Amino acid sequence: MKKNTKWVVLFLLPGVALFAFVFLSTLVTLFVTSFTDWAVGKDMTFVGLKNYIYLFTEDENFIQSVKNTIIWIVLQSVFHVFIGVVVALLISKKKWYSSAMRTIFFVPNIISSAALGILFLCIMNPQFGLVNNIITKLTGSTFSHNWFMDPKTAFVSVTLTWLPYAGLVTILVLAEMSSISEDVYEAAMIDGATKLQTDIYIVLPLMRNIIGTSTVLAATSMLQKLDIIMMTTSGGPGNKTMNMPMYLYKTVFTNNNYGLANAQGVLLILLGAVVLVFIRKMYKMDKED
Amino acid sequence: MKKIVSKLLTAIFLIVIAGISLVPIIWVVSSSFKSNSEILSAVSGFQTGLHLDNYTNAFKLAPITIFYKNSIFIAIVATILNLIICTMAAYVVVRCRFKAKPLITMLFSLGLIIPGAALIQPLYTTFTATHLYNTLTGLILVYTALGMPTTFYVMVSYIKTIPYSLEEAAYIDGCGFFRTFVQIVLPITRPAFATAGVIQFLLAWNEFQFALTLTGQTEKRTLPIALYYFKSAFASDYGAMFAATVVVIAPTIIIFIIMQKQVVAGLAAGSVKG
Repeated sequence: MKKNTKWVVLFLLPGVALFAFVFLSTLVTLFVTSFTDWAVGKDMTFVGLKNYIYLFTEDENFIQSVKNTIIWIVLQSVFHVFIGVVVALLISKKKWYSSAMRTIFFVPNIISSAALGILFLCIMNPQFGLVNNIITKLTGSTFSHNWFMDPKTAFVSVTLTWLPYAGLVTILVLAEMSSISEDVYEAAMIDGATKLQTDIYIVLPLMRNIIGTSTVLAATSMLQKLDIIMMTTSGGPGNKTMNMPMYLYKTVFTNNNYGLANAQGVLLILLGAVVLVFIRKMYKMDKED
Repeated sequence: MKKIVSKLLTAIFLIVIAGISLVPIIWVVSSSFKSNSEILSAVSGFQTGLHLDNYTNAFKLAPITIFYKNSIFIAIVATILNLIICTMAAYVVVRCRFKAKPLITMLFSLGLIIPGAALIQPLYTTFTATHLYNTLTGLILVYTALGMPTTFYVMVSYIKTIPYSLEEAAYIDGCGFFRTFVQIVLPITRPAFATAGVIQFLLAWNEFQFALTLTGQTEKRTLPIALYYFKSAFASDYGAMFAATVVVIAPTIIIFIIMQKQVVAGLAAGSVKG
């Protein structure tokens, strides 16, 4: 340990300056302007809580976007994490296919989500999409369904672009599992536990923290889903698949209502904080084992 | 009997998982070599040969060459800048004593819990005011900042494992603080650069939201935006659209396969702390 004030300041300066520029100044702007009436070509006027009240009492699109976002957060926290953990448990004991499986499962997570969006747009295309082709071949009669544009299937179709792709959860859980000592498994085997019993009663409790972390990541990723929505439905049909980032984007660039958009931004951050605290409590992540 | 059933169920489950992960990508790659009419009539196989012209069309229809150059430039510079800034900060946080340490650690991790979409409008305003809107420099700064939490954690945990005696010896030999950092510490931290660097590169390469909102002209845009162009403007040339998608995702898949170990290590380190 060295005390070296001059160098400490010099070494921290670039990072702190960049943080201040990209995050701190924008957060201050976000918060302050969320209490103003501010649009393109209009002077900024202070209006107190008017934006917030309007969003929750009159703006149906916003209310729908909050509902959708919360439903997606819950689905992602439960099913997405479940799939990822199950795959991890199944391939954790070194089998010939373990590492190949891990790689394959992670590919959809590594490619740009804009590309994943366009991929799904093509797969579910009513004319030439893979899904309709397969159904046509299986049933023998021409099947043509517009998955993303039919109000009945739009929500499910969008959900399917991210719900099953839990490669990140699998990788995180596998990384944590590799730190379990072999003795634990041996002891369980000597006591006559089956593979399933070992997984449920011994491995999963040891994975509590990483599953909690995965749940936080899965849930908060739903607050960032702009790219896939934009590439597939843009929130439509109507506002069936509208989520908070998409509506925020529309408020900024289509309606040019900056004050209202920034109130949504504040609420987006707040929702993220609530979700984070809630999941940490649920998984008792603050307590050490 | 019970064992066979459970093995069978496991196999089916894993095949489904592998299928939904791989089939879409294989389908897009194979479709990118088909003619428009073959795509529309959903024939399997390549009856009129491989249509490589889809790729040349993709490059003609959208200015993919420019997007490609921009993406490579932005990703590389943002990665180097991010590594330099975070390594310097991580080094003094691990090795030096100062009061603001918890505050600095908090600053570097705050980025993890802020949904990027919330910052769209304020960043847009800041960037227009500072003339960074529609510049490569602007995107580089944003991506450098977005990747700070992960790189910072990877570097902190790596530098902690380096024995201090090496640096001490350098100081005794009369080496200054900066020279010790450059000549002794940096060479040892190279493996961590690979881990943090590959994550940072992929982040910059794949980012869509800020690339869309902080640039306005074709000359300054990156690859993910090319796909958005195809979605809105050239949606009838499906072959070219598939080719463009392949061109965008191929580098990331190749990088992931080559550097899988580093990617996994980086993801684990970056997210566990969040």
